[in-house]
Amino acid sequence: MGLEQFMKLPEYKAKSILRNAGIPLPASTLATNAVQVKRIAAEIGYPVVLKAQTLEPGRGRAGGVRIVQNEHEIEKISNQIFKLVLNQHPVQFILVEKALTFSKEYYFAVISDLDVGTPLLRLSEAGGATYLEPESFKNASFVDQPVDINAGLKDFQIRGLMTRLGVDPSLWKQLQLIAHKAFDVYRQYDATLVEINSLVITQLNQLFALDARINVDSQSLFRQESLYDSFDPSYFGWDERQALKFDVDYHSFPGEIGCMVNGMGLAYLTIDQLIGLNMIPAAMIDIHGGATSTSIASSLEMLLLNPRVKVIIINIFGGMTRCDEAADGFLQVLNIGLPKKPIFIRLEGTNDDSGLDLLHKNENLTFFGTTDALVNAAVGWLRGEEQ
Amino acid sequence: MSILISADSRIMIQGITGRRGRFHASEMLKAGSQIVGGTSPGKGGDWCDDLHLPVFDTVSDCVDATNADVSLIFVPPHSTADAILEAIDRGVKTIISITGSIPLQDMMIVKSALKNSDSILVGPNSPGVLVPGIAYAGIFPNGIALQGNIGVISRSGTLCYEVVDTLKQEGLGVSTAVGIGDDPVIGIDYLTCLELFEADPHTDQIVLIGGPGGDSELRAATFIMENVTKPVIAYVVGENLPTSILRPFFSRSGSLSLNSLGKKTGALKDAGVLMASKLSDIPAMIKR
Repeated sequence: MGLEQFMKLPEYKAKSILRNAGIPLPASTLATNAVQVKRIAAEIGYPVVLKAQTLEPGRGRAGGVRIVQNEHEIEKISNQIFKLVLNQHPVQFILVEKALTFSKEYYFAVISDLDVGTPLLRLSEAGGATYLEPESFKNASFVDQPVDINAGLKDFQIRGLMTRLGVDPSLWKQLQLIAHKAFDVYRQYDATLVEINSLVITQLNQLFALDARINVDSQSLFRQESLYDSFDPSYFGWDERQALKFDVDYHSFPGEIGCMVNGMGLAYLTIDQLIGLNMIPAAMIDIHGGATSTSIASSLEMLLLNPRVKVIIINIFGGMTRCDEAADGFLQVLNIGLPKKPIFIRLEGTNDDSGLDLLHKNENLTFFGTTDALVNAAVGWLRGEEQ
Repeated sequence: MSILISADSRIMIQGITGRRGRFHASEMLKAGSQIVGGTSPGKGGDWCDDLHLPVFDTVSDCVDATNADVSLIFVPPHSTADAILEAIDRGVKTIISITGSIPLQDMMIVKSALKNSDSILVGPNSPGVLVPGIAYAGIFPNGIALQGNIGVISRSGTLCYEVVDTLKQEGLGVSTAVGIGDDPVIGIDYLTCLELFEADPHTDQIVLIGGPGGDSELRAATFIMENVTKPVIAYVVGENLPTSILRPFFSRSGSLSLNSLGKKTGALKDAGVLMASKLSDIPAMIKR
């Protein structure tokens, strides 16, 4: 849970963005109770599809997507969906959508190719596939086209995709329009992924986007204010909100060791060592390079207040992070009456001498010189405690 | 000799009057780097007094006055792409972005601009380039490494410190250490560094530190097999972590980045690379 969910737009929001951009979608409206569902279905006309709004995977398997043919059963089915709890998140909204009959499905997406550093268009016959699960393309043909972001998307690139996949020319004009609009959405909203899965051909030979996914780049949120309201606050606990506020990365795991590090590499290294000793962390906070004493203080506070955390590992090898500033941050929260927990710390790098000077008298802290020694000691302490 | 920077490099700093730019300029000067000046739009004509360094409004002005050929970027993430593009536009040869967490599409714009230029970019989210005992451009802690003949390449900055420090504890020295950066989209990758180390007469062996996500280590393996004759020792952090632990860390990219999980160690081994199962095992694997 946490930030990764924060960056996925809910289905109804993704669809409203695509609809506003001019991509054809079946009529749909959001409902919060069964009575609303029934009223909306009557307006849209049966058959309708009821879609539980959730960011959790496995919605279909859990019974969160149901086709309803007529008004006799709609309230009962709605209430069944509203009773679903997916990965501890209750379903609060249902998207009521006109059910379309269609002959063929395509998949179309604007993807981020991180290795090359370009947007990439993908067109496939794997209608319901998703780029997030590569195996979903295994049994279908697909074609890719990188796009130079400075030059923008060109018609010939879309034509190339359509001819390579053998799309019937009667659909070219519509698909070309959809591709341009989807690319515009990708650019406008700083998306990492705009996915139309699936794109269907109706009996009137018209293309409609049946399902859509938009993921947004967390580092671009500062310029995407229009999206702030669409992220689901129920996904945030106190820890996540603190992490967002102080610009640190926070990840929660089911263990008992709270960790704070100053970089992704040290985060992996520390977890690697823990896993090697058959331990998992309770939390991993990455304060990033150059963190301020305030964000460091808040991170330690989060670990001290977390009831699952029995022992704390701090592994800092400061480059941009200054050890004296880190020490200053620790001192801000060590003496204010928070729960006492043993803290195993390695503090090395820029200004480490003055940082260690500030800390060495504190009785909660035990100092180590290497990641190996640090992790071994913390795990040893926890094992001793458990016996 | 070294790669990417040398004793002769004339280093400027974009964002020199900021808290971080100023502090690290002073640290680099202490270590012997030639810092020649920097930019801070609106403060052109000032001096970074205690450092005796001139401040300019634009990269172009700074290069005109100082002949800088390396630019080090400390500006905030939302203006980093603009800073890189400004340095590319002025033809600065080596651009190093310490700042990380750059908006993804900003970096795509930068990558496209780099293709049509002679500049190379190290980073973003890089600790810089370190030539122990000679100079460095970046944020390396002072005195962290010994001078020697081992070339080090790492995506992670902290693991770059960790490995050169571990080598130092065993009396082993480094020719150049490069942190290529831990953002999802970066400038030069392992391949460029491997090619430079292979050609560098002062580098006899290479240490490569990889991590989860992307497939750059797989491409490095292919490149090593075909082009590198010097011994390579590698460690891929997180290679054995369960996906349930790793997945949350890959939220940002929302892409295929975990696809290569578990394949990197095997690919590098097949390319003749000596694989360390722990980072702290590396010094024992170095040929003396």
